[in-house]
Amino acid sequence: MRTMLIAAFSLIAVSAQAETIVANVNGMVCAMCVTGIEKSFRKQAAVDAVKVDLATKKVTVQVKSGQSMDDALVTKTIVNAGYAVTGIVRSR
Amino acid sequence: MLMQENDASQRTVGVDYTIAPNMAVAFHAQEHTRGSPFVMLGPQLNLLLKRWNMEDGQGNIFTMTGAGATLDRGDMRPAVWTGVLADYETRRIFLSYEGRLMYAKGVEKSAWQRARAGVAPYLGNYEDINTWLMVQVDRYDEKHLSGHHVSSLPKTDVTPLVRLMYKTFLMEGGVSVHGKFMFNWIMQF
Repeated sequence: MRTMLIAAFSLIAVSAQAETIVANVNGMVCAMCVTGIEKSFRKQAAVDAVKVDLATKKVTVQVKSGQSMDDALVTKTIVNAGYAVTGIVRSR
Repeated sequence: MLMQENDASQRTVGVDYTIAPNMAVAFHAQEHTRGSPFVMLGPQLNLLLKRWNMEDGQGNIFTMTGAGATLDRGDMRPAVWTGVLADYETRRIFLSYEGRLMYAKGVEKSAWQRARAGVAPYLGNYEDINTWLMVQVDRYDEKHLSGHHVSSLPKTDVTPLVRLMYKTFLMEGGVSVHGKFMFNWIMQF
């Protein structure tokens, strides 16, 4: 019983951890590109924070605890801002 | 986006609002100063026809088309204009070509072309001031439809300029080989 409770609490703790999504993006060349992408992500309810790095061509999105953003929504957000996604990596 | 351009041939102010990933509506006002000044203003539709997103760069083709009125010495006349802009940009180099046709009934019909080439002397990130060194070539071909707008300015002018970008603000300025000043700025909201 005790083992089961520990396992359940561990599961809850893991699922409550905020997810970080890193997207590799083509076409970003200037500060105004950064602003456009950040603005698009900030409109998404699940997004806690977003950072764009021109040098590494990566967009890092911190998802709010307990919420999620699937790959399709991440891709759509970036494509609608005018750029192309070449890969997505997730971590907690 | 709010933008303003000033040079010897024109002063413009424009407000753009993006309504779709490939479309923006704008209001465009322009004072032509190549001859006796006249003002042209009206709504404009900007379309992104094609975009290439590459690993280290981006290429675009836009069109800008508008219709409105010309205010010429107290008279209001219809005016239409259309243009195309093609650009290619990496974090290091910038190339663009823009051509515009304008017809203001009874005032002027004209063609304006602008080509630009630029280089960034260092690679800046979002928090940095990004600097570009550019050369701009302008070509004006105009036919004056009234006797009041004869231009004394050169048809072709070459302007070295410096562009500075910081986050959502861009400004650029230069002096042409004919000694004409230019200063433009853009603010993105």
